[in-house]
Amino acid sequence: MADAPKPMKFEERLAPVARAIRTSQIWKSIFRHGYQDTPRNRSLMILSNVFFHIHAVKVRPAALPFRYTWRMGELSFYLFLVLTVTGILLMFYYRPTVEHAYWDMKDLAYVVPFGRLLRNMHRWSAHVMVLFVMFHMISVFYRSAYKPPREYNWVIGVILLLITFLLSFTGYLLPWDQLAIWAVTVGTNMAANTPILGSEGPLAIVGPDMDARFVLLGSKIVGQAGLLRFYVLHCVLLPVAFLMFIAVHFWRIRKDDFSAVPVPPKEERAKGVQPEEWHKQHPEVLQEKVFTWPHLVSRQFVSAVVLTMVLVGWSLLANAPLEELANPNLTPNPSKAPWYFVGLQELLVYFDPWIAGVVFPTLIIMGLMAIPYVDPNPRGVGYYNFRERRFAVSMFTVGVVLWFGLIFIGYYMRGPGWELYMPWEAWNHHRPPSSTAGLRNTPNWFGFLLLAGYGALGMGLPKLLFKDFYKKLGPVRYGVVMFFVLAMFFVPVKVILRNFFDIKYLISLPAWSLNI
Amino acid sequence: MSPDQPTPPANPPAPRPAPAKPPKSIQQQQVDETKVWNLWFTRREFLTLAAWGGFFLWLGGTIGAALRYFLPNVTYDPPTRFKIGRPEDYASGEVNTRFKKKYRIWVVRDTPAQGGGLYVIYARCTHLGCTPNWLSGQNKFKCPCHGSGFRWGGINFEGPAPRPLERCRVALADDGQIITDVGDRFKDPKDWHRPDAYLKV
Repeated sequence: MADAPKPMKFEERLAPVARAIRTSQIWKSIFRHGYQDTPRNRSLMILSNVFFHIHAVKVRPAALPFRYTWRMGELSFYLFLVLTVTGILLMFYYRPTVEHAYWDMKDLAYVVPFGRLLRNMHRWSAHVMVLFVMFHMISVFYRSAYKPPREYNWVIGVILLLITFLLSFTGYLLPWDQLAIWAVTVGTNMAANTPILGSEGPLAIVGPDMDARFVLLGSKIVGQAGLLRFYVLHCVLLPVAFLMFIAVHFWRIRKDDFSAVPVPPKEERAKGVQPEEWHKQHPEVLQEKVFTWPHLVSRQFVSAVVLTMVLVGWSLLANAPLEELANPNLTPNPSKAPWYFVGLQELLVYFDPWIAGVVFPTLIIMGLMAIPYVDPNPRGVGYYNFRERRFAVSMFTVGVVLWFGLIFIGYYMRGPGWELYMPWEAWNHHRPPSSTAGLRNTPNWFGFLLLAGYGALGMGLPKLLFKDFYKKLGPVRYGVVMFFVLAMFFVPVKVILRNFFDIKYLISLPAWSLNI
Repeated sequence: MSPDQPTPPANPPAPRPAPAKPPKSIQQQQVDETKVWNLWFTRREFLTLAAWGGFFLWLGGTIGAALRYFLPNVTYDPPTRFKIGRPEDYASGEVNTRFKKKYRIWVVRDTPAQGGGLYVIYARCTHLGCTPNWLSGQNKFKCPCHGSGFRWGGINFEGPAPRPLERCRVALADDGQIITDVGDRFKDPKDWHRPDAYLKV
């Protein structure tokens, strides 16, 4: 209680009553310790609370400011909780059958009180969560918070990213409208193009009644079986998997000590002193900590409240889309995947489905997971740093820009027939399609030589030009790093080859459905 | 305060000592101003209270909304209104079981001595909800579950049933057929004399 400048009549009268309540057996059995603001109680608020004891009792002050983490990790988890609560409430009215799913969505919008708000909140929270986990990954990378001893936690994080994508994708089907059914058709057709295990991919050994797509959908068509599978995945299997990995993720954060470290003051930084040296000179700054309760917890509470306000406000004003009832006989033009997959869909212009839909996503996931193990540079942990890790930051930034750039093009610049439209241009369904008459394939031997040359130059040239770089990485890490870098730059290479040289395929083996 | 010593219970703030003769310092002027407004709280306390109050208002509103969410404005239950033929189709002094299986009702037509009304009894035992049977030989409705017995007209007279059988609202439709609503029932025998509880034929 704050000290008033003069005694307050209310508090004088209330104090004995309050004291009697707070020393009663019922109260003490629930709340245990007092609320007086003492160091002991600040510790106990964290230690003796089953939810809060994920946190450390004390944190370094460098972890507190918004600009360090942008609060992306904790808000992603908070959004998961919001999605769970809104999702469970929606489950009281939604039936995952082809006859009922769409009409139950209509019921939620028009018949159930607050149903529209709840559904909107669920949809917008899902989109924001996908965005925030991407931002979280980006921020962790820029802070080097994946470097030893935190490598495995980064891998767990990539798995969580994948689960988030899958959660969003399975949920996308459930409204059973045109948007849903065709987005999932696009996505599951990518699965059919898996090499070997997909019936339409290169080197296929199974038919459409046994391939990867069939496993996903339980059928050769996107129908009742797929709807039920996606529903169970969305509501049970994926959330449980998410929670298991989140538990490990949080455990690791505590075990490895949150990464934030103080940076030297401005005068020292101006002289060029780096944080690692400064810590060696002043080891006591690493020990300076403040209580999580109230300093960190209050900031988290405020960010959660602001996010909730924005979500509720947005959900009141903007309705989540619901198009017409799903019609397997009528494909809308264009048919787009959800926004976070539409970048891969854009790649389909330049690559066959097995590359755009299977190989590239796999390489992205594997490349992300490899990052902590191929980065031997120990500098930069716990603060934003570019100068001492130029290559890593540049390559990662190129990847992020490429990813969001492809999403932008696929979302805003592709219209009917996947033709190019400026974002302000109206879509014209009668516009004649752009001519592909001039496109040609290079002879296979030429394409093979080109690819081999690209690989050889890409592997050999940096080794010769940047000997230090090669020495620091060693041959294995160097090979892995250059492989992923070359794969990443192959995308703009193909874009240029197609748009400026009218080349469609470098290598074309139609008998095996294998085209590059 | 040491973290290991038990903290003493909070005491009310010490009363402010009476102001001395004014040299009128700044603090004195501030104190005088608060005396002028005679407030119970500081600005900080007011804002804290307002913020927590706002939070609990929001929380209460959200809980209220969540509770209201569970009461949809429209349900999709099956229809409860049915046409059951013309009054001429029913003989006087008879309990008709024509629609017992389909709509769970008996159509009863009293003799002229009993009053001559035509009414619909809902075939649900008032004990625990089983469907009784009309035993015309014994002139009673008998429930097979626990033996409840009901006289002609539905009054309970034996077994555990606490109340008489319920009657359904009846009316004459435009085409001359009887129309009854099994969702709208009269429990109390006092209501059985209402004009929508029976038809005069």
